[in-house]
Amino acid sequence: MNTLRLVLRKLAGGIPLVLGVTLISFVLMVYYGPDLTYTLLSKNPTAEEIASVRAQLGYDRPFWWRYIDYLRELVTLDFGHSFSSGERVTSLLARTLPVSLALLAPGFVLGNLLGIAFGLLAAWHRGGWIDKLIMGFSVVGMSISFLVVIVAFQALFGVVLGWFPVRGWNVHDLPSYLYYVTVPTLASVFVALGYNTRFFRAVLVEELGRDHVRTARAFGAGPLSVMMKNVLMNAMIPIVTRVLFSIPLVVVSGSLLIESYFGIPGIGKATFEAITSGDQPVLKAVVGLTALLFVVILIAADVLYTWLDPRVSLDRAEAA
Amino acid sequence: MRSTLIRPIPGFVLALVVAALLSACGGSPPPQGKVYRHSIDGTPTSLDPAQSATIYSSVVVVNVFDTLYRYKYLARPYELTPNLALGLPEVSDDGLVYTFRIRDDARFTDDPAFAGGIGRAVTVHDLVYSLQRHFDPATRSRGAWLWQGRIVGMAEWAEAGADYDRPVEGLKPIDDDTLEVHLLEPFPQLTYTFATAFSALVPREAVEHHGREFAIRPVGSGPFRLTSFDSARATFEANPHFVRDPLDLAAEGFDPERHAGLGLESLDGGRYPFLDGLEIHFIEENAARWSSFARGNEVHNVMVPNEQVDRVLARRSPIRFTDEIEAKYHGMAGLEAGFVYGGFNMDDPRFGHHPDPDQDAANRAFRCAVRDAFDWQARNDTFYYGLAEVFPGVIPPVVPEFDPTLSEASITRDVEGARQRLAEYGWDEASLPTLTYGFVSAVQQRQMFEQLRAQLGDIGYPVDRLVPETFATFGDYYEAVKTLRVDLFYLAWTLDYPDAQNTLQLFYGPNASPGSNNFNYRNPEFDALYERSRTMQPGPERTALYREMNRMVIDDCVTISGLSRTRIHLWHKDAIMVPDREILAGYFMRFVDLVEPDQADG
Repeated sequence: MNTLRLVLRKLAGGIPLVLGVTLISFVLMVYYGPDLTYTLLSKNPTAEEIASVRAQLGYDRPFWWRYIDYLRELVTLDFGHSFSSGERVTSLLARTLPVSLALLAPGFVLGNLLGIAFGLLAAWHRGGWIDKLIMGFSVVGMSISFLVVIVAFQALFGVVLGWFPVRGWNVHDLPSYLYYVTVPTLASVFVALGYNTRFFRAVLVEELGRDHVRTARAFGAGPLSVMMKNVLMNAMIPIVTRVLFSIPLVVVSGSLLIESYFGIPGIGKATFEAITSGDQPVLKAVVGLTALLFVVILIAADVLYTWLDPRVSLDRAEAA
Repeated sequence: MRSTLIRPIPGFVLALVVAALLSACGGSPPPQGKVYRHSIDGTPTSLDPAQSATIYSSVVVVNVFDTLYRYKYLARPYELTPNLALGLPEVSDDGLVYTFRIRDDARFTDDPAFAGGIGRAVTVHDLVYSLQRHFDPATRSRGAWLWQGRIVGMAEWAEAGADYDRPVEGLKPIDDDTLEVHLLEPFPQLTYTFATAFSALVPREAVEHHGREFAIRPVGSGPFRLTSFDSARATFEANPHFVRDPLDLAAEGFDPERHAGLGLESLDGGRYPFLDGLEIHFIEENAARWSSFARGNEVHNVMVPNEQVDRVLARRSPIRFTDEIEAKYHGMAGLEAGFVYGGFNMDDPRFGHHPDPDQDAANRAFRCAVRDAFDWQARNDTFYYGLAEVFPGVIPPVVPEFDPTLSEASITRDVEGARQRLAEYGWDEASLPTLTYGFVSAVQQRQMFEQLRAQLGDIGYPVDRLVPETFATFGDYYEAVKTLRVDLFYLAWTLDYPDAQNTLQLFYGPNASPGSNNFNYRNPEFDALYERSRTMQPGPERTALYREMNRMVIDDCVTISGLSRTRIHLWHKDAIMVPDREILAGYFMRFVDLVEPDQADG
C-alpha cells in the first residue's frame, strides 16, 4: 500500500517535470528549430502556396494552442505523421525503438557489469599496479573520441580481419544478430568502460573505508566475500542510480554515432534527422516520451532504494 | 542488507534485452539470388514522386515507378529515350498539343490497395492523376513548378478545389494508352519533364489507401518493388510484371572504347532487370562508405570521397587510377550534371539593382570586383582536389548549349583589375558595403568563407566587412536566402533536365525570391530573351539566345560562377555496370548485372 501511495504521489509530482521539459523543448523547436516551409515547397511558390504549407505545418497557429495540442498528443500517445516522410510517428517509434534496444542493450549491460568488476578490482588494489593499470586504461577509453573508436573498429574488424560487417543491420535470427551487434557493442563498451570504471571505483573505494568493512575483515572474511557482500551491496544505491538514469538515454535517444556509422535504423538516427530537418511531430514524441520515462525511472529508483536498503523508508521517500 | 533483493535489477535488464532482441530480430531474411548493393551519400525522406526533389529520393523513385521517358544508359551528353512511352510524342505544328502513347503491358506491382491485392494495368489515366496531384495543395508537391502555367485548365482545376473526378481540360485521354496534352504555350522541355522522378505514374488506389504513408510505401510499375525502407537502406525485389524490350546496348550509347573492359557486352539483348534484388544503402559518412566498399562483400560501389582521392588516383589530368585500384576495381570519372556558384542578392541597393544609373553602374563595378577577386583555381585545388571543371557563366559543360569558346575573364582572378574597378567608381574603405555571407555551420563551409574573405582582402576589401552568418541546417540557410537575409551565398544546382533553360530560369525576373531566382536579378532584356527562347524548339537560334543570356549574367556580375565537380566512381568487378549519381541517371540500376567474382575481369 505504501508503495502504491508512493508511486501515485511521485507520478503526480512528475507532472510539473513533464510540463517543464515539454514547454522548454517546444519553445526551442518553435522559435529556434528549422523552418520547413521552403524545404517542402516547389521551386517558384506563390504567396498562397507558402501560406498553405505553413498552415499544413501548423506554423500559423498561436504558440499556446500548439503547445496544448502537444500535451493532448502526449496524453493520447498520438503524435500524428512525420513532417518529412509522412510515416505515423507511433509506427516510426515502433520500428526504431526495438532496433536501438537490441543494438545498445548488450553494450549497456556489459559496460556496467564490466565497469563494476573492474571497479571492484581497482578498489581492492587501491594504489597498486592493478589499480593504476585499470585507471590508465579507463583514461585511454575516455580520451579517445568515440568517432575514432568506431572508425578504427570498423576498419579492424570489418576490413582488416574481415570477421564482422563494417555496417548494416540485416537481423533475422540470433546468429545474424550476433554478427551485426558485436562490433557496435565492442565500440560502445570500449568507450563506456572508462567512465563507468572510474565512477564505480570511486564509490567502492569510499565504501571500502567504512567501519563495517574493517569489522568484516577483522572477523576474517575473505576478499571476495568482503567486496561482494560488504562493499558492493552497500554501494548499490549510487550504482543503481547511475545505471537507472542512463536507461532513458539508451532506450529513447539511442546512439546517434553508432547508428549513423553502422547504418542501423534506430531511434537515435531518427531523432537526429528530426532535429536537423525540423520534424516536430517526431521530436515532440521523443522529448515527451523521454520525460515520461524519466518520471518512471525516478519512481523505480525510489522503490528500489527501499528494497536495497531498509534504512530508506517509503514514508521518508514520500516526505522527500 | 537483503542481498536477494537486488535480483530484480539484472532480471529487468535481461527482460529488456530479450524483448528488444526478439522484436528486432523479426526482420525477413536477406533476398536471395543476384542482389546489387548500391551506396549513396544521403538519405531520402519521402519516396512519393511528387516530393522527390533530391538525388536520394529520385534514385529510389525511378526504380520503383515508371516514367514516360528516361535517359540512355551510357550516352553522354544525356539523351532521352522512351521508357513507358512508345516512341517520342507527336507534336502539333503549333507546338501546343503533344500526343503520348504508352505501352499496354505495364502493370503496377501487387499491393493491398488493389482489388484482390493484384496490381492492375497502367493507363494514361494514371499519368493524368499523377499530374493532377502536383496541383493539389494536400500533396505538398515539390515538382509542380515543372508544369505550372503550362497545361490548359490545370490552374482552374486546382482553383475549383482539386477534385480528381473532374477532368482537366488540357489532359485528354484518347484511350487507355494515348494521352493528348494541350499546352497554353509551346513548351519544348515538356518531354524532358516526363523523364523526371516528379512525373512518375502513381496509382490513385494506392495513394488513397496508404494516405500520407504512401511516401514510405510506394507502389509503382518500375523494374523493382520496394520491400523495406528505413533511414539506413531501401531493399527491393525485381518486379516480375516489368516488361521491356531487350537491352540494345548500341542504342543506349555503348562506346567500345570508353566502356572497354567493363563486361557490358554480355548484357546486350538481355531482358532487364538482370537482378533478383537491389539494396540502396544511404551512407552519409565518408569513412563508413569507403570501409564498407573496401571490405569487398558489402556495398558494390562508392563515389570516392575527397580524402581518398590521393590514394585512388595516380594522375589527375587526365585522370588515371593507381595500378592497385585498377587491379581491384572498375573505375570511371565524369562531370556532375550541375555546378556550384556564388551569388549576390540583387535586391539590396547597396550593391545590387539601383534606380540611379550612376549608382547602379558603381554597384555593378563592386560586384565585378568581388568576382574578379575570387580565385576559382584556389577553390578547386583546396576543396575539389583540382579535379573540377571551372567554366564561365551558368551554362555548365554537360548541356549541349555549353559554349567552350566563351571568354574565361570572368573566372580568371584579376586582383589589379578589381582594385582599378573599385577606384574608378569611387569605392573606398569608407564606402565599401558590409556583406553578410551565409552558410551552413560546418567546417568546410567555414573554410570556404575564410578563403573568400582572404581573397577579398587582397583587393582592399576590409576583412571585417564580410560578415559570416551561420545556420544550423540547410533548411535554415535556404530559408534565409529565400527571405533575403543574406547578401552573398554559395549554392549548388543540380540539373533537372539537360537543357540550359533549367539554369537560365534562375535569373528570370518573375522567378525572384521566394522563387528559384535567388539572385533577385531583374533585367528586362534578359527576361525578354528568356520569354522568347522559352517557346523555341532546340536549334542554333535558341542556343544563340541562351548564350546571349549567359553573357548578360556574366556582364552584370550577378553571380560568381561556376564549377562542375568531377565524380569518381569505383565498383567491384563482379558488378557489370556503369554507375552514375546524377538526378538524371538513377535509371541505370535496371541494367546492372552481377557475375560470380571468379568470372569478373581482372
